[in-house]
Amino acid sequence: MTKNVYTVGQVNSYIRNMFAQDFMMSRIYVKGEVSNCKYHPSGHVYFTLKDESGSLGAVMFASNRKGLAFPMRNGDNVIVLGTVSVYERDGRYQLYAKEIILDGAGALYRRFEALKQELEEMGMFAEEYKQPIPRYAGRVGIVTASTGAAIRDIQNIAARRNPYTQLILYPALVQGEGAAESIVQGIRALDAMGLDVLIVGRGGGSMEDLWVFNEEEVARAIFDCETPVISAVGHETDVTIADFVADLRAPTPSAAAELAVFDLRKLLEDLKSLRMALNRGISDQLSDWQSRLKHQEERLYLLRPENLLNQRRSYCLDLEQRLTQQMERKLLEVKHRLSLCAQGLEGASPLKKLSQGYSVVTDIEGRSVVEAEQVRKGDPLRIQLFRGRLKAQVTEVLKDG
Amino acid sequence: MDEQEKTLEMMLEEVEGIIASIQQRDISLEDSFSLYQQGVETLKLCSGRIDAVEKKLLVLNEDGQLEELS
Repeated sequence: MTKNVYTVGQVNSYIRNMFAQDFMMSRIYVKGEVSNCKYHPSGHVYFTLKDESGSLGAVMFASNRKGLAFPMRNGDNVIVLGTVSVYERDGRYQLYAKEIILDGAGALYRRFEALKQELEEMGMFAEEYKQPIPRYAGRVGIVTASTGAAIRDIQNIAARRNPYTQLILYPALVQGEGAAESIVQGIRALDAMGLDVLIVGRGGGSMEDLWVFNEEEVARAIFDCETPVISAVGHETDVTIADFVADLRAPTPSAAAELAVFDLRKLLEDLKSLRMALNRGISDQLSDWQSRLKHQEERLYLLRPENLLNQRRSYCLDLEQRLTQQMERKLLEVKHRLSLCAQGLEGASPLKKLSQGYSVVTDIEGRSVVEAEQVRKGDPLRIQLFRGRLKAQVTEVLKDG
Repeated sequence: MDEQEKTLEMMLEEVEGIIASIQQRDISLEDSFSLYQQGVETLKLCSGRIDAVEKKLLVLNEDGQLEELS
């Protein structure tokens, strides 16, 4: 019993060395189902890998967290690359993980589908919650990485379309540990500033790289955001939960910038054509009124008293003319009749008889003497000749028969 | 609504409405004049709303302060 007694430390140290010298144990892929998964505040992740036959304790130190691109949860089937070694304090061997990936094609996709369905059923994608994107945003918030293609693309497009738009970046982690919290914080911080529109996104990458935009907390932050949100994740073909919940999905960050930043030249042209339309409108209206006025003027001209008077005057003139004409005709007619009468009368004139040698005999009182018995011998008589008169005296009265 | 609260979009829509009204034949001359005046004023406001100062990208830092990207 006295021979070969070792301390606990010596044994554990010895076994640890055995593991360390084992080439296979220093770099090994282990697959299994995750359980007891704990994210320690220090950044270390503790979990157990198990299968039907047993279990293996595992840890991923904070320094290796780059190797975990997705949020690992209990029940996930994973493949872990790491080293098996001994934790001397507990005398336990465990797997020190360097990289963890989901096992089996489509595992992430299935999780994506499950969350999408869940959120859709909650109504978070409903059209009624979508806010319109303002056409003329003055201040645009951006949640993305401060380095990378996304922010550069957005800056370039914005500078080209409208250098007067204020861009405000919240530099966020867009993949790996803490990305979801960082993006959520960015959305809230920019939302609180009362900007006109937010762009939330990142450039292209693998499905794991883009995974944070499929996280429920990111989706909720976008949903709760009072400022309209444009999602801009990866390339055209990448679709994330964030795209469904955002007010508008842009296929790329560049496209998001086109949607968020209005084209200044286009606005200036619009203003110009509005001004022209306004001027055309009023000048059309004016010439319309002018022609209406002219029309009324003409009508009024015809109705003015002077004109009416002229009309009456010319009517009078006309009447006068007609009257004169009628009068003249009447006069001619009468003259004609008169001359006819005169001719007739001339035939019956006593003067004519006188000229033929007849004469008119009257007594002293001017009574015509037509019978001899009217006078006595010695009565004075008057005799009217054709030319001149005679005084005579009856010398004898002779009776007829 | 106060002129200051109107968005550029609202003002542009307003001018479009004014143009449509002016084009109506049965509008009175007085009304068309005052609409025209209103349209010109609104367009002036629109132009004035274009803040023609070039902007640098601002970054919201951890203290909640805005700073220019260095």
